[in-house]
Amino acid sequence: MALKEPVLLKRVEKMTDPTSVEEFTKYGGFDALKKAVIMDKEAILDELDTAHLRGRGGAAYPLGRKWRHLYGSQNTPKYIVCNADEGEPGTFKDKMLLEKDPLSVIEGMVIAGYVFGSNDGYIYIRGEYRHIQAVFHQAVRNARAAGYLGKNIMGIEGFDYDLHIISGGGAYVCGENSALLNSVEGKTGRPRVKPPHLADVGLYLKPTLVNNVESFACVSAVINMGGEAFLNLGTKDGGGTKLICLSGHIKNPGVYEVELGMPLDEILYSEEYGGGTSTGRPIKFIHFGGQSGPIGTSEQIKDRLYDYGDFWYNKLAIGSGAIVVMDTSVNAIDYMTSVMEFFVHESCGKCTPCRLGTTRLLELFKKFQRHGGKQGDIEKLEKMLEHITNLSACGLGQSVSVSARSALAGYRDEFEACIN
Amino acid sequence: MDIRERNEKLRIIHQDGGEQENILEILIDLQFASEEGYIDKETAALVAQELHMTETRVYEIVSYYAMLKEKPQAKFVLKVCNSSPCHFSRSEEVILSLEKKLGVPIGKTTDDGLFAYHYIPCVGACDIGPVVKIRDTVFGSLDDDKISSLIDNLRNGEVVV
Repeated sequence: MALKEPVLLKRVEKMTDPTSVEEFTKYGGFDALKKAVIMDKEAILDELDTAHLRGRGGAAYPLGRKWRHLYGSQNTPKYIVCNADEGEPGTFKDKMLLEKDPLSVIEGMVIAGYVFGSNDGYIYIRGEYRHIQAVFHQAVRNARAAGYLGKNIMGIEGFDYDLHIISGGGAYVCGENSALLNSVEGKTGRPRVKPPHLADVGLYLKPTLVNNVESFACVSAVINMGGEAFLNLGTKDGGGTKLICLSGHIKNPGVYEVELGMPLDEILYSEEYGGGTSTGRPIKFIHFGGQSGPIGTSEQIKDRLYDYGDFWYNKLAIGSGAIVVMDTSVNAIDYMTSVMEFFVHESCGKCTPCRLGTTRLLELFKKFQRHGGKQGDIEKLEKMLEHITNLSACGLGQSVSVSARSALAGYRDEFEACIN
Repeated sequence: MDIRERNEKLRIIHQDGGEQENILEILIDLQFASEEGYIDKETAALVAQELHMTETRVYEIVSYYAMLKEKPQAKFVLKVCNSSPCHFSRSEEVILSLEKKLGVPIGKTTDDGLFAYHYIPCVGACDIGPVVKIRDTVFGSLDDDKISSLIDNLRNGEVVV
């Protein structure tokens, strides 16, 4: 069943100027903030827990748990950071919020500022979205002029909080939270060794919250409707609605908002959403959640619900919300070669398993592509995937194997056909 | 660098407070404002001085981030997205069309210094692939004809990026 009323995209296309505070408030903007500042902070955390809001950047970590971790930290100051370094291929939903409803992201970040008594929030927007950075700068200026950022926000004595807008420079790895913080500090954006957790030692070595753009927008929705109602939009494995991005061989590509738990077939085939393939050929597989996500075969995706639990149980993942559709003309080896080229390009080079591992993996895929595989090469591939997963320092290297393993599981015959 | 040019660069460096935190925005803005689309040595030295960093640190950043360039670029660099959603939406054909139209191979600049083209990873426009990005503008749903007229229009100034 299609979504009755959009939650995250309710203002999109309605506002003539998305940076206008006046229009934003006309459509319910800042209602959540007004409600939050008269709530007990513990009660806000309770609502987020009840909502079972999972982080929308890809890792799907329960947001309430992340907030509680930071809330419990005694160290000050605390920093609020929004990860707007949307770089997972097939993902372009944060772009929509940043461009079409930037104040909704700002509202979520101000609520976080209130909960944690923070004075400084940062938003790190990918360099390729330079035109959107300009929109966001304007939205921040307007929010400041209207008293929703700056000193004594909404007239509340001592509620001082402002936003800094930081540009990325074209490095996928900066979407990894610790690399992102290094980049904010004006350093090269390479990941840090963890632990310590960023909620303990984050930006400028201070306790830091890092959440995705859509997650911050969800926070306002939770406060507005209450945790229970938000949960009920989704399933017991994750509440709310999710922005999804359809691309590849799909008739109606674009960003859509769906309730978690919606039948995947409806997303793919109904005219309101995907509308089936664009090529007339059937779907062969889908790459979910970005390059670091798994590939689902046509068998695997049958009768699935777009839900965290149902997906995980079937070795799939929601991830960032990317749904890249590939039809039967695409060979699994060719697809994986393209994915691996991306990882080779984006590996930051800090740790050897990822730097060399991605290169060696690409060489192997290209060898398969030439049908030059030798006996034992598939086993070698499996070993290499194990090494890169277990030995890499950050999420980039650790997730290189996800798509490759699922491709191997689903299309082993195509790999075997490349062995002489 | 004459005094006017220097003042303009200083304005860009300090427009958002001139903190080390802003270095990427500063360098990208300086690069966009430059004639040849790169961070020259003098500019890097000026940024280092104003942000109280060493030149080595500035160059570490310029060489690390893909958007920043150390060498002069063509006036119009056409960046063709090659991440998988675009790759399997015929981004290779875009490269072939560009090669045919411009007469130079991928990675080379045309003799008049106007055009060059190369692949880049995802620009976040997967719904309109295949795409070309020039400066801040994305051109989507491309085919041979559209590419041909895009090049003509860039050359005669009818499309401004």
